[in-house]
Amino acid sequence: MKFLVNPSKFNEMADHLFRPLLILSIMLFALGLLFSFYLSPDDYQQGSTVRIMYVHVPSAWLALLTYAIMTLYSILALAFRIPFGFIFNTAVAPIGAVFTLICIISGSLWGKPMWGTWWVWDARLTSVAILFIIYLMIIFMNLSFENRVVREKVVAIFILVGSVNLPIVKFSVDWWNTLHQPATISKLSKPSIDPTMMTPLIIMTFAFILIGIAIAILRIKTEIISRKSYLS
Amino acid sequence: MKFLKKIIFFYYREYKLNLSGIQDILTNIIFFFVSIFIFIFSIGPDKETISFIGVGIIWTLLLLSSTLSLRKFYQEDFENGNLFIMHLNGFSFGFIAILKTFSHFLFVQVPFLLSIPIACILLNIANDKLFYLFASFSIGSLILSCLGSISSSMNLMNQRNFLLGSVVVMIFSVPVVIFSVGIINMEESFNSLINILFGILLIVFAINPWASGMCLKLSLENS
Repeated sequence: MKFLVNPSKFNEMADHLFRPLLILSIMLFALGLLFSFYLSPDDYQQGSTVRIMYVHVPSAWLALLTYAIMTLYSILALAFRIPFGFIFNTAVAPIGAVFTLICIISGSLWGKPMWGTWWVWDARLTSVAILFIIYLMIIFMNLSFENRVVREKVVAIFILVGSVNLPIVKFSVDWWNTLHQPATISKLSKPSIDPTMMTPLIIMTFAFILIGIAIAILRIKTEIISRKSYLS
Repeated sequence: MKFLKKIIFFYYREYKLNLSGIQDILTNIIFFFVSIFIFIFSIGPDKETISFIGVGIIWTLLLLSSTLSLRKFYQEDFENGNLFIMHLNGFSFGFIAILKTFSHFLFVQVPFLLSIPIACILLNIANDKLFYLFASFSIGSLILSCLGSISSSMNLMNQRNFLLGSVVVMIFSVPVVIFSVGIINMEESFNSLINILFGILLIVFAINPWASGMCLKLSLENS
């Protein structure tokens, strides 16, 4: 597992992994879209708009997952002095921001027919909006410091401080009485979703994860190359 | 004893510095009142509307005007080398952060605390709400000072984007504003909400020396 912390090992692994990941994710996307548009039933209440879920939920999960992994890498980088963590943070922050944006926009499009408004000031929505702003702040911080050593450590500290928001996003539907529905899949007991809807959701989730990893590999490789040219 | 003397001298120095630059603090307060005027002019002078949203206005403007002075939290001491001298005199970076946080609370936030009653008169807020406003702001302003310490130490080396520090404070102060406005508007749940505020204060107070101390150390090493 050394390729997770070592840039040169990562480069080797990335060369092997990138193309299969991309092809697999495109295939999964095709399969998942087929399932979600034609092979899954309409909801008895929400009708056809339930299909927005197959984009909305995976992107929301990935937005949270990306931030969690960034937090882990920040701890690794600060505590064990592994510089790959800084490379990872710089490279992956825009991906997380895009996933959060997809989640917000698709949720907004889902909210208009179901709740009647594009936006409600509800705990889940607000905390996700704050997550998006934190992602943007990380990107802007990466752009606005001139000294690289200070920049990457300050950004790592900011990520650690901002990770306070993660449990708030996850548990906001349980702690407050919100309009957003509580967790139906990622809860400890049996998921309360029908298997016919579960299948496309799982396929789409894996497609999102794989495309996320593929883009992350590209961005991390770019970051490693730019750092090498910066040092030499 | 020697250490205590050093701390007393630290605060004496802060007092002298703030006294010579008292126009900055007064300008902050004037900013606060001028923005209240602007708010009232833009909403319209209807008494009931104003007293209904008054608490929210006061909290928003207190937050905005206390983030205005963040720039001089560490920056002057950092640029003229006083931070490094303090560190050489036996203060660790985390301890400097704690001392500075209290000094910011004393010299920047307490004047706002004193100007709240006048704002309440202007915004037509009932007298019995004044106590809740004081209670929420005296805890909330300590939280804001801690957050300000973190964000301004992060942005010491940031020469391009000065507004970033204020935005960091404003993001993390969202829960503070929610709970402290909740205290004033829902007086029956005063105890539970003020306990939550205390909890946030303790969390921020624990994070502050670690995060700001580390950022100060980084900036001093690489400047």
